[in-house]
Amino acid sequence: MNLLDWLVLLGTILGIAAYGAWHTRGTRAIDTYFKGSSRNGWGTIGLSVMATQASAITFLSIPGQGYDSGVGFVQNYFGLPLALIIVCAVFLPIYRRLGVYTAYEFLGRRFDTKTRVLGAALFLLQRGLSSGVTIYAPAIILSTVLGWRLDLTIIFTGALVILYTVTGGSEAVSLTQKWQMAVIFGGMVTAFIVVLMRLPDGLGFTGAAHLAGAMGKLEAVDVSLNPNKRYTLWTGLLGGLFLSLSYFGTDQSQVQRYIGGASLREGRLGLVFNGLLKIPMQFFILLLGVLVFVFYQFDKPPVFFNQVDWTRHAVGTNAPIFRAIEERHAAAHERVRADIQTWLTVRDEDDAVEEATSRAAMVAAQKEVEALRAEAKSALLAADPRAKTKDSDYVFMTFILAQMPHGAIGLLIAVMIAAALSSMSSELSALATTSTIDLWRRLRPQAALNEGRNIRVAKWITLFWGLFAIAFALFASMAENLIEAINILGSIFYGVVLGIFLVAFFLKWIRGTAVFWGALTAQALVFILYSNLSIGYLWYNLIGCAASMLFSVVFQKFMGPAQPSLEEEPEV
Amino acid sequence: AEEPPGVPGFRTWRGVYLFVFVFFVLSVLGLALFSRVFR
Repeated sequence: MNLLDWLVLLGTILGIAAYGAWHTRGTRAIDTYFKGSSRNGWGTIGLSVMATQASAITFLSIPGQGYDSGVGFVQNYFGLPLALIIVCAVFLPIYRRLGVYTAYEFLGRRFDTKTRVLGAALFLLQRGLSSGVTIYAPAIILSTVLGWRLDLTIIFTGALVILYTVTGGSEAVSLTQKWQMAVIFGGMVTAFIVVLMRLPDGLGFTGAAHLAGAMGKLEAVDVSLNPNKRYTLWTGLLGGLFLSLSYFGTDQSQVQRYIGGASLREGRLGLVFNGLLKIPMQFFILLLGVLVFVFYQFDKPPVFFNQVDWTRHAVGTNAPIFRAIEERHAAAHERVRADIQTWLTVRDEDDAVEEATSRAAMVAAQKEVEALRAEAKSALLAADPRAKTKDSDYVFMTFILAQMPHGAIGLLIAVMIAAALSSMSSELSALATTSTIDLWRRLRPQAALNEGRNIRVAKWITLFWGLFAIAFALFASMAENLIEAINILGSIFYGVVLGIFLVAFFLKWIRGTAVFWGALTAQALVFILYSNLSIGYLWYNLIGCAASMLFSVVFQKFMGPAQPSLEEEPEV
Repeated sequence: AEEPPGVPGFRTWRGVYLFVFVFFVLSVLGLALFSRVFR
């Protein structure tokens, strides 16, 4: 990075944060602090929902996923538009009609206090921990490839989010997310154009797509029923539907983005905007990774993309082993390049047999390169059993630093940091709102009437969660396995919480006590299944949700018809 | 309040949801076609 890159990076990141803090410094109304401005239209709401979901890992890892496995990962998002239709039609109108600040406040109105606190506690537990991961995950990658200090990277990004989120609450989050999304869109389009320009003369987008297709990187839809396949149309539709319904319908970090705004119509259109754009956007990011793959068929890639780790281990007795792998990889890459040139020539001659023969040779040569990459990972693991062998997260950053012009490098780093800030600010604001509304107000019912005191308390709680996230991210750098555990934690709780909400909306004869114990029993069942089965995490959403609803029905039948709880809102 | 979507061409929310669903189906078919063309 040179001076121009630093100017672009700091100008965009600090400029947006300062703008958000300055414009919302006078926020005095509790509705604005917790829900955002009541003037927000569908565009602001739509971009805010999108920015909350798109974390830095979206832009760091997904191009790497495209490079490694092709565009099949897009199927993971197939359930999302269907889930958003359900949220628009069922969840959002009720949230707005009741005027709730949090999704769990609705549970209190529909059921009772213990169910409300259960929903809020599960959210605070998983989201509080994962907010640390939101800044840790990009910080570890950026600090590795850019040579920044990991602790300072975490503290800088965390402090910046705290600055504007404490100042303006949800309104500052929405305001900054609009501009952060502008930086993200601008950066990703720039990257796409640069990749296309870096391809060999005469290849173009069509030629690159044909080459990627021949290499098996463009299989976007897989209709097979094989349960061992990770991404298929069916796992995307069913697992993705339940995951998206949990995330958009019951996770306060998303609910808070759309329950404010000018009207029910604006909230709905903001969600519809996401339902239409999400799949094309994710496909675009994956396709960018596929084009980087095509670029590296002509320009020799490193054998292992986390080059800092590779070089660090290529010393002493490992040096000759690592060097031998690098030399064989370089030779294999030359063979791939020659075979691709042959295939491109033959393809234009309209000889089907010749084309099939040269294609088979090209694919076989590429398989040899992949085998050498696997061998490199094994060698790295032999040199250091604790080494991280997943290098796909480093593919896009390697391309950016080696191939992008100065200025664009700064813009792309800004994309990663803006995405981290936009996700984390939503999380902090949601954690503070839930802590204030669902917990603090329960303990201090008189203070709930004092608007100024509510905002003061919410600011202190936002600061607490921000410092907690920073501390957790700093601690996570010492215990890598924590990250994996946190990611698993989310999928284990999500389904059960969704089950509680679906009972609330659709099974109106079930009361608070039955759903509370039904949810706890379902959660215990999910823990037992998780300990004894090895199925994809997506399925736990479905199992947890179904079990939660089923146990609630059984308990209510067993308990007999109950009296409505005192808190219950009759019209729900 | 339940107000009409106010989007040109759509009188009811049901129409908007149907449009999102049809757009989703066309996206999936488009992706499948893209994969087939560049196989």
